Amino acid sequence: MIPFPLLSFIIFWPLAGGLFVLAFWRYPKAARRIALAVALVEVILVASLFSLDLHLNGTDGWLLREDFSWIPQYGVRYSLGLDGINLTLVSLSALLGVMSILASWKQISERVAVFHVMLLFSQTAVMGVFLATDLFLFYLFWEMQLLPMLFLIGIWGHEKRIYAALKFFLFNIAGGLLMLAALIGIYLVHGRQTGDYTFALSHLMQAKPAPMLEMWLYSAFLLAFAIKIPIFPLHGWLPDAHTEAPTAGSIILAGLLLKTGAYALLRIAIPLFPVASHRFMPLLLILGLVGIVYASLVALGQKDMKRLVAYSSIGHMGLIVLALAVWDSLTLSGAVLQMVNHGLTTAALFMMVGMLDERFHTRTLADFGGLWKSMPRFSAFFLLFAMASLGLPGLNNFVSEFLILVGVFRAHPLVGSLAFCSIVFTLIYVLKLVQDTLAGPIKHQHCRDISPRELAILLTLSLLVIGIGLCPQPILTLLQDPVQRLIDQTGAMPLPGTNLMPAK
Amino acid sequence: MKTALITLLIAPLLGALYQIVFGNRSPRRLAEVVSCAVILVSFVMATVAFFLPGQQETIVLGHWITVDTFSATMDIHCDSLAAIMALMVTFVSLLITIYSVSYMSHDHDYARYFAYLNLFVFFMLVIVLADNLLFLFLGWEGVGFCSYALIGFRYEALANARAGRKAFLLTRIGDIGLGIAISLFFVTCHTLSITAINAQATSLSAGAAMTLGFLLLWSATGKSAQLPLLVWLPDAMAGPTPVSALIHAATMVTAGVYLLIRLFPVISQAPEVLLAIASVGTATALFAACAAMVQRDIKRVLAYSTISQVGYMFLAIGVGDIIGSMFHLLTHAFFKSLLFLSAGAVIHALHDERDITKMGESVRRHLPAVFIVFLAGSLALGGVPPAAGFFSKGRILLATLQHGGMAYKAIWVCATFTALLTTLYTFRLFFMVFTGKPAVPRKSGIRAVPQLMEWVLWPLALFALFAGFLNLPHLQAGGGWLAGYLAGTPGAVADLHATPSLEWAVENGDSLLALGGLILAYFLYGPKNILGWRTLDASARKATTWLFSGFGLDRLYEIFWVTPYEKISQFLWHTVDETFLDQGLLRVTNLFPLLANTLQGFSSGILSTSIKMLLFGFAAFLIFLAV
Repeated sequence: MIPFPLLSFIIFWPLAGGLFVLAFWRYPKAARRIALAVALVEVILVASLFSLDLHLNGTDGWLLREDFSWIPQYGVRYSLGLDGINLTLVSLSALLGVMSILASWKQISERVAVFHVMLLFSQTAVMGVFLATDLFLFYLFWEMQLLPMLFLIGIWGHEKRIYAALKFFLFNIAGGLLMLAALIGIYLVHGRQTGDYTFALSHLMQAKPAPMLEMWLYSAFLLAFAIKIPIFPLHGWLPDAHTEAPTAGSIILAGLLLKTGAYALLRIAIPLFPVASHRFMPLLLILGLVGIVYASLVALGQKDMKRLVAYSSIGHMGLIVLALAVWDSLTLSGAVLQMVNHGLTTAALFMMVGMLDERFHTRTLADFGGLWKSMPRFSAFFLLFAMASLGLPGLNNFVSEFLILVGVFRAHPLVGSLAFCSIVFTLIYVLKLVQDTLAGPIKHQHCRDISPRELAILLTLSLLVIGIGLCPQPILTLLQDPVQRLIDQTGAMPLPGTNLMPAK
Repeated sequence: MKTALITLLIAPLLGALYQIVFGNRSPRRLAEVVSCAVILVSFVMATVAFFLPGQQETIVLGHWITVDTFSATMDIHCDSLAAIMALMVTFVSLLITIYSVSYMSHDHDYARYFAYLNLFVFFMLVIVLADNLLFLFLGWEGVGFCSYALIGFRYEALANARAGRKAFLLTRIGDIGLGIAISLFFVTCHTLSITAINAQATSLSAGAAMTLGFLLLWSATGKSAQLPLLVWLPDAMAGPTPVSALIHAATMVTAGVYLLIRLFPVISQAPEVLLAIASVGTATALFAACAAMVQRDIKRVLAYSTISQVGYMFLAIGVGDIIGSMFHLLTHAFFKSLLFLSAGAVIHALHDERDITKMGESVRRHLPAVFIVFLAGSLALGGVPPAAGFFSKGRILLATLQHGGMAYKAIWVCATFTALLTTLYTFRLFFMVFTGKPAVPRKSGIRAVPQLMEWVLWPLALFALFAGFLNLPHLQAGGGWLAGYLAGTPGAVADLHATPSLEWAVENGDSLLALGGLILAYFLYGPKNILGWRTLDASARKATTWLFSGFGLDRLYEIFWVTPYEKISQFLWHTVDETFLDQGLLRVTNLFPLLANTLQGFSSGILSTSIKMLLFGFAAFLIFLAV
């Protein structure tokens, strides 16, 4: 008897639900409600994973596994695997799916049904990316993410939406195609070496390409993932995409799509090519550090709130890059937790900027001021998420940031110290954001404070922000084994020397 | 004991939660009562912890972060040092919260105010009690946040919000030092527990001890407003006066000193660090005393004097006398919060007038009670015997003089000279506020001060006058009660072992200095305006303006830091990000259709068309695969 394929169900349920929503394209209200119901069911499905008696399944380290033959002549299998790392990320995706639908409750009034189909579609794609363990399958989901986002930005976006959507698409498809080439390359190398033509990640890790070839293959993967994360200087698409996207699009983009890049680097690129990646680590270290400082500096100059938050995203992801470059148990746990935390706080900030946009039809900082007076509740939440985003202890981001920073410091005191200093750069633009909106003479006399729907969203997120800040241990415990396994697979990667230059 | 400690810590947090959730909806009186009651509970529990025998208790409140070998727990360690600090913090907080009820009675944003205030007390108690350094860091950053929020409490004026931001930023620059220090403790000691670290302090290598010491000094200079990070404190006076009294005089600014005392066994491993601490403290004390001499804003005088007095606490640590440092910390908390609260009463009575050149005899006539308590505070701050400041500062000067080495002798000369300046600026303030004719005529009248505000001042005045008896020197047949109480603190030297003659000489020297300063102040700034300096300050000259602005330190930061930072930000955004990275890439992509044109004579050539083709092709590919 085949056990119930829960993982597949989790992946495809939003898509199936989305098609059902499409049937109601004439009735926007109903479509919206059904979409919300679908997303809520998805949350329940994911929650049911926690209630299962999950235990390590054999030696391959998966908590839950599905594996079917798909295209046997090319060795393509349909295989999914769940462990602590992607369980946390899948939970985040399910949650943000609901949030993105709630956030667009009032904002989207055209082609409502199609919009929600796109949201649910992208959820399916993201879930697939997180769960796939066959690289061919992974690639399909990877590219599948692009389409719904392309339309979300291109159809429901703001003024320069077409430009931003195409830019987003071109950047990412370029990376994706490179990855496809490298994927076929490693497939062939492994097939020739062992006679076993397969796309299974665990098998491909055994492949031993020639050193030069490995460098090229890794570079291709790295480039694809670096564009998605995005690592400085490949971030050009992100500010435009965020600025033009509708709120829900920004939530999915920042909360989920960026995470798939970091996740893929962590789960696929580095374990596949440990030797090559080891030699690239100093580069990642430098780019991560530069990215944090650079993004923080550029964020300070922004006049559009959404663009400011977008740049802050690049900075936060820079910290994750730094964490991956050090590759030890502290930083990797920190990195995965940071993905979750960044997803929560940035989604919250984007949502709040969206709320302001709905009310005042502007996102320019100069148009705001004195919101404490007119919207005290909104302001309290805004302050909370801003503080979380700058890493105030007791709130979620602090835990992951500190783990990363301590880990980096342990491996590399100089870079660690510099990374600590970058905290101040973050502080500067966050405080500017808070001050320009909340403080000062009041600019808008009459406006309503948050509605019950908005309160529900913000309360949920803020409870998570505080909860993870004070009690992160359940998640960290979940991450412990899979992180250790990743390190065992690749071997420890002490940074070459203590200098900042790449190894010869 | 365990229950007492947990209640002590948690009560203010619950109070803050109450204000956040129900504050604006509950009756005003209830919100006020709750905010005071939780602090009262804390105070009672602190008293219990203080008097109960069998101290030295470690309690684990919860596990926070454990990954691999890294482990941070939320645990508190109560020894005599923490107990006495907690008692002071809760006592002063209680009085100031009560004072705030009256102060805030016309503000309808009271819930936000009390929420921040209670939250602040919680975070401050975390610093005082925490055993794990990361837990301490939570309190450390938490008080920084509350300070930021309270300085900018009246957010309508952008200047207030800006002052808050400045404070947060500068203290956080200091916090980097603590963050790195915590990492280094983890790497070298493999633990973050303060007690465990202190126990193995002697086994630290010289280099590690020195690096750690300097990092801790760096973090303390931010929080405690020492050179070079002190510029935020004078601006922080933009906050409500009770906040200035609590956060920016009695508690938060002394957190840096407390941290150094708590980790003194580590610091004392490195003599270079001790010398650096003593030098920073003395330099700051002198610097701030000079700046205080010419300020015209009553709160700014007190702010500079706080910086200067905290400098003395640093000096005491630098000469290895942590009991002296703690003694001065306690007496200072009493007399400085007293001075701030009385200043608040004066400002209130004068309809928000803060300029001391516009005050004078009329203030004394209308506010006789405030006059008396302010005098008590001035005597204590000025170090006039037998008020509190005389004994605590005296101990520090004695310890400095006893310390060997030429450098310390020079430091002693500076510190003694600063003591004279202290008396001088204190009584300048006193005379200008309460005596004589105002140098500049004032327009507003004087109104009465609410009863509640005045009542609170009396207990503080008593402490300001008599807290010195906590630790009388041998000469006055004192047993040094405080020294005895704190003797168990790691690294503490209970008895300075000064020869009676030295003690006698220093004590009399200090007394003469203080009296001399007082008399000098009378001649310079007294009601009769004998030497005419009283009216001088009203007309600003170059030298005074320079001193007035705190030696132009702010201006330097502006030129060398703030402006370039903004310029870099703009440059990176417009030139690097938009022009170079973005446009550059766009040009490269534009090459492709061009290439297509020339090579194949492919006539469409429009970018969007080719993208559309690509898109459709890709969609078809996906559909093909999916089916």
